[in-house]
Amino acid sequence: MVLAALKGVGFTYAYAEHPALVDVDLQLEEGLLHGIVGLNSSGKTTLCSLIRGVIPHFHQGDLTGEVTILGRPLLEWDAAELSRTIGCVFDNPFTQISGIRDSVFEEIAIGLENLGVPRTDMIDRVERVVEQLGIEAIVEKNPNELSGGQRQKVAFASIVAMDAPVVVIDEPTSQLDPEASEAVFEIIDGLKAQGKSIVLAEHKIDLLAQYADTVTVMHAGTVVMSGPTRDVVGSDEFGSYGVVAPEVTELGRRLAAAGRPLDRLPITRGEAFDEISARMRSTHAH
Amino acid sequence: MASSRFATFMRGYGRLTIFMIPIGIAINFVGGQIALLLKLPIYLDSIGTILVGATCGGLPGALVGLVSNAINSITSPPTFAFAVLNVAFGLLAGYFGRIGVFRVWWKTLLSSLAFAFIGGFCGALITIWVFGGLAVGGGAIVVGALTAMGMDLNTANFVAQMPMDVLDKVPTVLIVYAIIKGIPRRLLVKLPLGWVYLGQPNPRAKKSVAATAAS
Amino acid sequence: MTSTLAAVAARYRRPMTLGNAVLDIHPTAMVAGITALIVVGLVSAGWVAPLVVSVLFVVIAFLAGRGRSYLGTILKLWLAVGLILFVLRALLVKGQTVLVPLGPIAITREGIQDGLRFSIAVMAICGGVTLFFAIVSMRRLMLALERIGVSPRVSYVILASFQAITDLGATARVVLDAQKARGIEAEGNVFVRARAFFPVLAPVFLTAMSATEERAIALDARAFNNPGRHTSLLDLKTWTGVDTALVAVAAAMVAAAVAGGVLGWF
Repeated sequence: MVLAALKGVGFTYAYAEHPALVDVDLQLEEGLLHGIVGLNSSGKTTLCSLIRGVIPHFHQGDLTGEVTILGRPLLEWDAAELSRTIGCVFDNPFTQISGIRDSVFEEIAIGLENLGVPRTDMIDRVERVVEQLGIEAIVEKNPNELSGGQRQKVAFASIVAMDAPVVVIDEPTSQLDPEASEAVFEIIDGLKAQGKSIVLAEHKIDLLAQYADTVTVMHAGTVVMSGPTRDVVGSDEFGSYGVVAPEVTELGRRLAAAGRPLDRLPITRGEAFDEISARMRSTHAH
Repeated sequence: MASSRFATFMRGYGRLTIFMIPIGIAINFVGGQIALLLKLPIYLDSIGTILVGATCGGLPGALVGLVSNAINSITSPPTFAFAVLNVAFGLLAGYFGRIGVFRVWWKTLLSSLAFAFIGGFCGALITIWVFGGLAVGGGAIVVGALTAMGMDLNTANFVAQMPMDVLDKVPTVLIVYAIIKGIPRRLLVKLPLGWVYLGQPNPRAKKSVAATAAS
Repeated sequence: MTSTLAAVAARYRRPMTLGNAVLDIHPTAMVAGITALIVVGLVSAGWVAPLVVSVLFVVIAFLAGRGRSYLGTILKLWLAVGLILFVLRALLVKGQTVLVPLGPIAITREGIQDGLRFSIAVMAICGGVTLFFAIVSMRRLMLALERIGVSPRVSYVILASFQAITDLGATARVVLDAQKARGIEAEGNVFVRARAFFPVLAPVFLTAMSATEERAIALDARAFNNPGRHTSLLDLKTWTGVDTALVAVAAAMVAAAVAGGVLGWF
C-alpha cells in the first residue's frame, strides 16, 4: 500500500507571502525508511508536517492539490485517528517533554494513558520500549533533569510506545552531539526492523545514506529528486541542490577524478571499506 | 464518550490557548520574582494575566489570574480574598484586547488606569470588608502608619492602595504591549485574538464558509 | 543502587503507597479532616482554640514525616503574616482599657484581644492549607480529581504551570546574570534597576510563548486531544476504612462544633 501520495500539492502558510510547497509530486511506499533532504527552507519540515497531518489541523494556510495518506485523503482524517496512526518526533528535545510527570517511566506512559490503554498493558508496553531503546539507566529519573540527548530518547520512547505503524521524524539529531545522533539512528533502524513506515527529514547525510531506503531531495519548495538511496545519492545531480553528498561518496568521486575510480561509488562507510579493501588487495597482488 | 465541560470550553479557543495558560501563570510569578530580586517597589505579578487576556480572550486571562492567585494562596491563604481582582484583570484585558487597546501605546497607557482602579480601589474595598482594613504585606504597614498619624482607617486604605497600584500597572501594561509587539506572525494566527494585532477583521463576524479544515 | 527495570515496573503495578499512614490518606478524606479541624478551631470565640488547632497541625505534619519543613514554613508565615496582623490590630483597634498610650494611638486590651483572635484564627487557616499541600502532592491531588471526573486538561494546566514557573524562573535568572555580566547594573537607584528589568523580560517571555506551539504539537502527538476516556498509570490508593473513619469523625466534629456554637457551649 502507498504510505503517502502527493499530486500537485502546494501550500502557503497563513502568515506567509511565499508558498512553502510548490507543485509537489511524491509517492512513498509503506514499510520503508524514506529520507528527506534539502536546505533549510526547502520545504522539508512543511512536507513532514503535511504527511503527519499537522497541516492542516494545526498550521492553517492555503492547501492545493491532492494528499492521500494510507489510501485516504488527508482532509478526511481526524486528529485523534492521526495521533493513533502516525507518530511524530521533531528536533527540539525540550518541548517534547511534557513537564508534568516525575519519572521517565510515567512520561513514556502519557500517550498510552491518553489512548485509554488499560494499566497492565500500559506497564508491559512501557517496560518493553525501555528495553528496546536501552534507556534503563534513566527510567526513574525526572525528565526535567535530563540532557538534550536523553530527552530525545525519551521522546522517541514515548512515541514508540504508542506503536503507531507510521512515524514521521523531523531532524531529530539537529540539537544533539555525534554520539547521541548515532544512538538516535540506531533507534530509527530498530523501528524499521519492526516493519514501520518511516519518513525522516535529516541533514546528516552520512547517517541517512546508511539507513534510508529512499531519498527525496527538496529544493525551493518542490521535489527535485526522489528514488532509491543509491540512485539519488550516487548521482551527479545530487550536489547541485545545496545538499552535501556523504563523505565516502565525495572520496569516491575524487578518486575517479584522479583517474583511479573505484568499481562502485560508495554511499556508506561499509561500502567504502569494502571497495577500498578490495582495491588495496588487488594492488598488493601485483 | 462525553468530554468534560472544561475540555469543551477550551475547544472554543483553539489548540494553543490551553498551553498559553501555564505560560501566563509562570510569567506572573517570574515577573513578581524579578521585581523582588531587583528590589523594585512594585508587584509586577499580573503581566501574564493581562497578556493572556489580551491575546487569548477574557476567560483564559481570568483563568490565569485565578490559578496564579490560588497558587499564591497555598503559601499565603489571605491572598485568596483578592482572587476576584485577578479574575477582573483577565476579563478586562480580554475586552481591551478585543477592541484593540494594546495595539496603540497611548491607549495601553490609559488602560493602566482602569486596571489600577480595580487593583487599588476594589482592593481597598476587599481589605476593608474582609480584613477590617488591616491586611498583610507592605501595603498594610503603610496603612497602619497613616492611621497612626490620625487618618481614618478606611481612607488610609484607599490612599495607600491606589497610587501603589498605578505605579505597578503602568509598567505592567507597557511590558504587555512590548511583548505583543514581539509575537511573531506565525504565532499570532493561532491565538484567538491574534487577528486584532494582525490588523485583520474579526473572523467570527464573517459568515463565509471556512476555507481550511475544521479540527 | 538503582532498581532494575523489572523492579520499577513492578512498583508501578502495585497500588501507590507513600510508606506512611498519614501520607496515604486519600486526598478527599484529608480535605475533610483538615476542614473539620479548622471549623472547630474557629467556631469558638477567643484565641485558644485556633492556637490548639495550629499546634495539632504541626503534630500531624510530624506524624506524616514532613514535620521539619512544615514547621519551617509555618513559622515564617507566623512572622510574616500573623505578627503583622496582630501588631496592626493591637495598635489601631479602638478600645477602652488603655494599656500603653502612644500619642494619637494606644495599645488597648481590646486591641490585643482582637489582634490575638484575628491573627491566630487566620494562622489556623493558613496552617491547615499549608498542611494539606505539605502532605498531598499536586500530582496526587490531580489524580484524585481525575478519578472523580475532572478533565485531564485541568490537571495539565495546573501541573504544567508549576513546571513552567520553575523553567521560566531558571531561564530568567540566567538572562539576568548575563545582563549583569554585560555591565547592566542591577544595583543602584530604582530607575537603574528598572532599566535592568525590562530588556530581560520581553525576550524571555517571547521565547517561552513560541515554545508553546511545539509543545502543543508534541502533546497532540501523544493523543492529548483524544476525546475518549483516559486511563492512568498511577493507581491512587483506593478508599479504605481509615478514610471512611476519618470522614465520619470529621463530620461529627463539625456537627458538634456548630451545635455547640449555636447552643452557646462556648
